Amino acid sequence: MGYNWNWGVFLQPTSTGDDTYLGWMFYGFKVTIALSLSAWLIALALGAVVGVLRTVPNKWLSGFATAYVELFRNIPLLVQLFLWYFVMPELLPERMGDAFKQSNPFMQQFLASMVCLALFTSARVAEQVRSGINSLPPGQKNAGLAMGFTLAQTYRYVMLPMAVRLIVPPLTSEFLNIFKNSAVCSTIGLLELAAQGRQLVDYTAQPYESFIAVTLAYLVINIVVMFGMRWVEEHVRVPGYLGGK
Amino acid sequence: MISMNKVSKNYGSFQVLADCTTEVHKGEVIVVCGPSGSGKSTLIKCVNGLEPFQSGEIVVNGVSVGDPKTNLSKLRSTVGMVFQNFELFPHMSIIDNLAIAQIKVLGRSQDQAREKGSKLLERVGLAVQAEKYPGQLSGGQQQRVAIARALAMDPICMLFDEPTSALDPEMVNEVLDVMTELAQEGMTMMCVTHEMGFAKRVASRVIFMDQGRIVEDDSKDAFFEHPRSERAQQFLAKILHH
Ligand SMILES: Nc1ncnc2c1ncn2[C@@H]1O[C@H](COP(=O)(O)OP(=O)(O)OP(=O)(O)O)[C@@H](O)[C@H]1O
Ligand SMILES: [Mg+2]
Repeated sequence: MGYNWNWGVFLQPTSTGDDTYLGWMFYGFKVTIALSLSAWLIALALGAVVGVLRTVPNKWLSGFATAYVELFRNIPLLVQLFLWYFVMPELLPERMGDAFKQSNPFMQQFLASMVCLALFTSARVAEQVRSGINSLPPGQKNAGLAMGFTLAQTYRYVMLPMAVRLIVPPLTSEFLNIFKNSAVCSTIGLLELAAQGRQLVDYTAQPYESFIAVTLAYLVINIVVMFGMRWVEEHVRVPGYLGGK
Repeated sequence: MISMNKVSKNYGSFQVLADCTTEVHKGEVIVVCGPSGSGKSTLIKCVNGLEPFQSGEIVVNGVSVGDPKTNLSKLRSTVGMVFQNFELFPHMSIIDNLAIAQIKVLGRSQDQAREKGSKLLERVGLAVQAEKYPGQLSGGQQQRVAIARALAMDPICMLFDEPTSALDPEMVNEVLDVMTELAQEGMTMMCVTHEMGFAKRVASRVIFMDQGRIVEDDSKDAFFEHPRSERAQQFLAKILHH
């Protein structure tokens, strides 16, 4: 194979001259992290609310939550991204739409990507939250209510603390997914990690180095997330419960 | 203290409770028994509104349970309940299990709540377990904690739903002893249980249910010596044989 390996490419200045190629990669890495983390925080908050609503004894609220989950889970992520980026600004009230279109392109791409990933992931988080709540012993809710807690307090103090502990492992994989899914956002021009990798190929004609670097960067993210979530799992483990001691 | 008047409940066409009428006076201990599926759990869950019912009336300490205007949470905070499967909150230490509702529902301070909790733990013989978690205790210990947790709210009456039937035989007595003591101190109690020894010791009356109906509601002596219905006679013959 007549490929010319050249790892030194990362230290070369870019053709625009203001940075090295490594700097480009690092920029993409930061965008991926910022995008995924901000979307993840929103997804957790929304997903918790929607997941709880799916289990409440009120058919309007639970019906709304079911519709929400089905909507965001079943439309392909790429389609949702295009809807947020291209269609949504047209549907906003004119002033807001214009303000969005006049903001700098990076902000437009970042905001659309963040909202898209956050809502898509929140539907999946909601499903986990619901299954966590449903897998609690059924008597726990009655026990909370019987103490005089309101339904909201019963969720807050009795059901959610245990439900959340039960779903740490599946949430870990959703957390990993959001980083992987963020690569889709390169399709609307957001210069995140995957997009920077491709850009590097275009400018340097060194595809192997570029994609190996991108792969390693995603791997690092995976490892950090897994260790982080394992730490969380250990930290919230209940003594004497589910084999924890 | 608790009065039920023609309480009926059904799931679709299936009648779980049919015209249940009874009265529990202050200081009385009522034992509710009957075959599986006869509606005992449903009956006592109706008392604190954990189960809705379609017709009839239940009044607890002057408050109508079925009235949509009733603040059920407030009512429930005055009625202690103990479940078959203990239902302690597994993510909280024992002392926090006793304190949390005192703090969040009754508005007591952390210190007050913990002090009250410690006293009650001592009373059920578990003071040394205060900092442990429910999963680290035996079933009998957990059920005694559950009783203490209910008592921490200073309830005006206590409901028990088969408190000993999930326990290993050697742990049944430690729980019954706590309940007996409570009965002797004058607590108003409604207990679903098949522990006839307990019933003979402390019950004021025994209610026997079958297919959603209160078939017998009699003083314990009358119930054990001359049960009127055939179903109760059969039931007693079976259960006392063990
Ligand atoms: N959600 C429900 N839908 C339909 N039927 C129900 C429901 N909950 C309870 N039942 C039925 O109502 C009847 C009474 O139930 P309940 O739990 O009160 O009986 P129980 O006397 O406490 O029995 P056990 O001794 O087994 O605890 C049972 O036949 C049960 O199958
Ligand atoms: Mg029962």
